[in-house]
Amino acid sequence: MSKPKGVYDNAATGDTSFRRTWDREEYAQKAAERQAREAKERKGRYEAKLAGKKYIPKTEADTDGGETEFDDSKMIEARRDRIRLDENLNKVQIVPLGTTGGRRGKGAGYYCEACDLNFTNSLEYVEHLNSKQHLNATGQTDVVERATLEMVKERLTWLKKRKHEQDEAEEFDLAKRLEERKKIEEQERLERKERKKVKKEEARQKKAHITSEASEQPGEADDDAAVMARMMGFGGFSSTKTRQ
Amino acid sequence: MSRTDLPDAKAMLDSRGLYDGPTIHSMNPLLLMEKIIRERIIDSMYWKEQAWGLNAATLLDRAVEVQFIGGQYANQKPTPFICLILKMLQLNPEREILLEYLQDEDFKYLRVLAAFYIRLAWPAAEVYKTLEPLMADYRKIKLRTQAGYKLTFVDEFIDDLLTKERVCDIALPRMPTRAQLEDMDELEPREPLVSDVESDEEGEEGEMMEE
Repeated sequence: MSKPKGVYDNAATGDTSFRRTWDREEYAQKAAERQAREAKERKGRYEAKLAGKKYIPKTEADTDGGETEFDDSKMIEARRDRIRLDENLNKVQIVPLGTTGGRRGKGAGYYCEACDLNFTNSLEYVEHLNSKQHLNATGQTDVVERATLEMVKERLTWLKKRKHEQDEAEEFDLAKRLEERKKIEEQERLERKERKKVKKEEARQKKAHITSEASEQPGEADDDAAVMARMMGFGGFSSTKTRQ
Repeated sequence: MSRTDLPDAKAMLDSRGLYDGPTIHSMNPLLLMEKIIRERIIDSMYWKEQAWGLNAATLLDRAVEVQFIGGQYANQKPTPFICLILKMLQLNPEREILLEYLQDEDFKYLRVLAAFYIRLAWPAAEVYKTLEPLMADYRKIKLRTQAGYKLTFVDEFIDDLLTKERVCDIALPRMPTRAQLEDMDELEPREPLVSDVESDEEGEEGEMMEE
């Protein structure tokens, strides 16, 4: 008869094998990297202070490139679309319990994924999107490229072209549009007719069904109840509204 | 000029130290607009969302969407027009760029915007020289005030800019009158835009007399 095996009996792995194990080398490397990074930042801050400037942490691209002040691709561009503040309007969202205090974590309101912050009003949210904190988190710098005359001219010609195209598209033929409208109305009329027909047919079938049922099982008690119910003003528990 | 612009007016309005950026009329350009309306603009949604991160080229996108001019409307809300004026004060676009805006024929609100900025920022004699030719532009523009919409015209608006002290709820910088500048020999007498109409009228009058 074999002994039942307990949790602690597994000799192959030892009695503490259930604990989490750690890759010490990986973490040592991570720590070294962090220390190097912090040392570099301290040095940067110190140098900026000596030069009487404000310290701006360099992004990865900058450190690779060497002396460049900032990366052009990281400059801010004007918003191309409106911020969709009413995206979640009239939607039900499940909000984790206990996130009502403070801004960390997703809660009710506007949520910024890059910074893991939640805002309860639109103005605060937009202000956050403009803030340095958010720009840093999304890898942007807080500068805009200054436009040259050429850029302005180019933009203006493009806008003009767009405007003229729109104007051309807006021109229309009245007769053609009337014709189209007529077709659409005719189609709608036919559809309405069809719907009415179907409805009538359904009603007729229902009526025939009820009468046949009533003739099959005439219960006296039921009849009494029905009469009483009608007197009281209701015929049953289902809705009296006919479904569309 | 630096290669970059700022996304908003925060740094330029930082009052902790002396301002050392570009100046207009030897002052911080943003201070050309009174504090109360300036702060309303900076707190407005339009400024934060639409006017953020614009430069002189992308400003055009917003300028062509402008539907009306004016200072404040409804419950003292700043109009997009006045927000863009503040943006231009912040960007301080070069002279050629402004003339490019002004000379454009397709977008009347862009022209009006540039004219307003020029009135705010340029020296008096140049303002007269640059804006007076626009008096030949008779296109309609909408003016929105706290009381509602009003119809006005480009030439009328330019005339307001040259003669009035307050336009679009903003106190314009003081400017000598045209007559004063002519006396100081800074301006030539103005050539009327409608010189040939006069002779026609004379002809008509002559005909009338004959009858």
